[in-house]
Amino acid sequence: MSDGLVQIDNPEPPTTFVVTPGPHVRASESTARIMWWVNGTLAPAALWGVAVFGLGAALVLAGSIAGALAGEAIANRLMNHRGTLRDGSAFCTGLLLAMTLPPLLPWWAALLGGLFAILVGKSIFGGLGFNLFNPALIGRAFLMASFPVAMTTGWVAPSPWLRAGLDAVTTATPLALLKEHGFAAAMKVISGSGWWQGMVLGLRPGSIGEVSVVLVLLGAAVLVARGIVSLTIPLSVFAGTALVTAFTGAPLLHVLGGGLWLGAFYMATDYVTSPTQRNGQILYGLLIGLLTGTIRVWGGYPEGICYAILLANALSPALDQWFRPRRVASMGTPS
Amino acid sequence: MSGHARKTFGRGGVHPEPHKEATAHRPIEDLDPPPAEVRLPLLQHLGSPAVPVVKKGDLVRRGQLIAEAEGTGVPLHASISGKVKPIDKRPHPTLVSAETITITRVDDPDLMPLEFEEDLQWRGLGTTEMLLRIRDAGIVGMGGAAFPTHRKLQLPPQARVDTLVVNGAECEPYLTSDHRLMIGRSADIIEGARIMARIIGVTEVAIGVEEDKADAAEYLIAAIEESEPHGIRVRVDLVRTRYPQGAEKQLVQALTGRAIPPRRLPHHVGVVVQNVATAAAVLDAVRYRRPLLDRVVTVTGPGVRHPRNVRAPLGTPLTDLVDFCGGLLPDARRLIAGGPMMGRALPRLDLPLVKGMNGLVVLTGEGPFENGYDPCVQCGRCIEACPLGLQPDQVSIRVEAGKTLSTEPYGAIDCYECGSCTFVCPSGRPLVQFMQVAKTTLRRAAETRPKP
Repeated sequence: MSDGLVQIDNPEPPTTFVVTPGPHVRASESTARIMWWVNGTLAPAALWGVAVFGLGAALVLAGSIAGALAGEAIANRLMNHRGTLRDGSAFCTGLLLAMTLPPLLPWWAALLGGLFAILVGKSIFGGLGFNLFNPALIGRAFLMASFPVAMTTGWVAPSPWLRAGLDAVTTATPLALLKEHGFAAAMKVISGSGWWQGMVLGLRPGSIGEVSVVLVLLGAAVLVARGIVSLTIPLSVFAGTALVTAFTGAPLLHVLGGGLWLGAFYMATDYVTSPTQRNGQILYGLLIGLLTGTIRVWGGYPEGICYAILLANALSPALDQWFRPRRVASMGTPS
Repeated sequence: MSGHARKTFGRGGVHPEPHKEATAHRPIEDLDPPPAEVRLPLLQHLGSPAVPVVKKGDLVRRGQLIAEAEGTGVPLHASISGKVKPIDKRPHPTLVSAETITITRVDDPDLMPLEFEEDLQWRGLGTTEMLLRIRDAGIVGMGGAAFPTHRKLQLPPQARVDTLVVNGAECEPYLTSDHRLMIGRSADIIEGARIMARIIGVTEVAIGVEEDKADAAEYLIAAIEESEPHGIRVRVDLVRTRYPQGAEKQLVQALTGRAIPPRRLPHHVGVVVQNVATAAAVLDAVRYRRPLLDRVVTVTGPGVRHPRNVRAPLGTPLTDLVDFCGGLLPDARRLIAGGPMMGRALPRLDLPLVKGMNGLVVLTGEGPFENGYDPCVQCGRCIEACPLGLQPDQVSIRVEAGKTLSTEPYGAIDCYECGSCTFVCPSGRPLVQFMQVAKTTLRRAAETRPKP
């Protein structure tokens, strides 16, 4: 046996021990791991956005993420919080925000958006876990209010050849065209490169991260398989949207042509701002879907998912009050 | 065994890594050499401490009474033969420090262990006599709670019970002492269970064993088939391997389908629950009048060189147990008495083995909360994991905010601290501790509230 050797080579076993409260073992999942899984599964769709729309999209991504991280660092400094930069949540806010932005938005606007998302969307509430609204969408709403022109005209036609954003051809998104000029115009901008390439591969105008429905879905599938995200909220969102848009003549366009997938899988499911109980989640998801459809069909914006989620966020605490887990005392009666 | 191999409780629960492979296949081994000294705290149970009947310098034989039962407590016996040292306060695994009788071993032919002969009339004994023998043997719940067994078997007059549930679930990770006892003493467990069934006046006994111990279940079934029923039907139910399957409420629900209301005892739904190791000790007490002198403890974990299931005299210093298992490894960092889910961390090895200690788990690496914890992100995992349907997330947020009294709707008062919520929390929050704070505060508030 090498026991003797081992004892010579190694320090003596301890005689005093660390006392911590139980339980003394843990599941391996941590909040930081979860956030980096979310970031990792978003990355392919974000990179696809860069491939489709060119370097402008890369600048928007970089600006937004840098803004979010800077916001987190400032907030940590101001509030004496321990370092939270590496927990992946600020990065996630920046990444998600960028993925909802038009590729031609100036990088500094994206940076401001990221900064605003963290500082006003999260930190003033007390940081991670305390915010009422989805920070990335607060950032987007801020940009919509501050740079309405860039936010509604910064769309670009897909250009698979990695051209820089400067000489890109600006165009409108399918949902905007649907709203302004009807179904035929929307279909035309999508089928520029073939209908299914446009819809499924994402070779169509749109925000950076929304266009590749396939990659968003694949990423979400990984999160579902890992138990990070459950299907309750996304399916309810789809159901709600379908309910409103089913009779508009373009239901498929509504489901595939906008940011529904990104919103349903990655933003409506945000732990902090969504209800914890299944029944509450179903109502919350349906509400998002119904509001999305309503805004798109009758409202002033071609895309509605952003405001729909923000509005539903406001209701989330109430849903958690109304829908509670059943206490075991009330399950089954003594025989 | 019935075909319902998937019996389990209704909601919640978690699946910690079992880590039982190191000792699950190792038969129980007697501590060798026996300890040179044992330290027997007068309080190793819930109730009043025992009162010493020996003094410094007395020579005692293994099995001899050294402290009498007082009030709600149980007596204590010498677990080795030897000489009594001064009776004084010594370190205690759960009470920090407590009055302790220390005995140093003396190997002398005049000090042979007491012999305990079989009482051939044991099957005909009355309830009172059986209860007396159980108390006089110093038996307490050996699954960890250490509640005096004779008291648990004395039901209030209005109680109507029909089933004895015997707990062989052993759902804590790492622990295999009950597993190996069910294999090594299957017939004794069955007979012990029948004695307890007779005492509480029931004819149905259900033994719950988690599926990962199917071999133990086979031994128990064989023992049932070989034994005379004497009017008491014993069955073994395999239950799902799922923490906290071995908690009283969860096991009763799995085996009988009955839900014990919060803060009520099992007899409220017609059931009494006893652990398998307690059943074996009860047989020893009633059939041989043999007191509780030893217990089986699993010494295991990544910080132990050779994990084992050890039978050792009560009062054995934990150091001796660890030495018998090849000693600690240099990276040993945390010492857990009991299982890692509900057990408690010990500061040192210089402590005695007590009646309720079923495991000594030595862990390596950083412990929970050593680096603080993060804010709640309301992921809902704790709610999903809670076997009682409580909301540890809301309780923890409100306690943190200093609004402990507003936690009432979220159920902290029902919490029995199984730790499932804390096990799954990705933010590493000490949810059990928040629940404890809320529970204590709410109870105090209820007590001081003026009655209408």
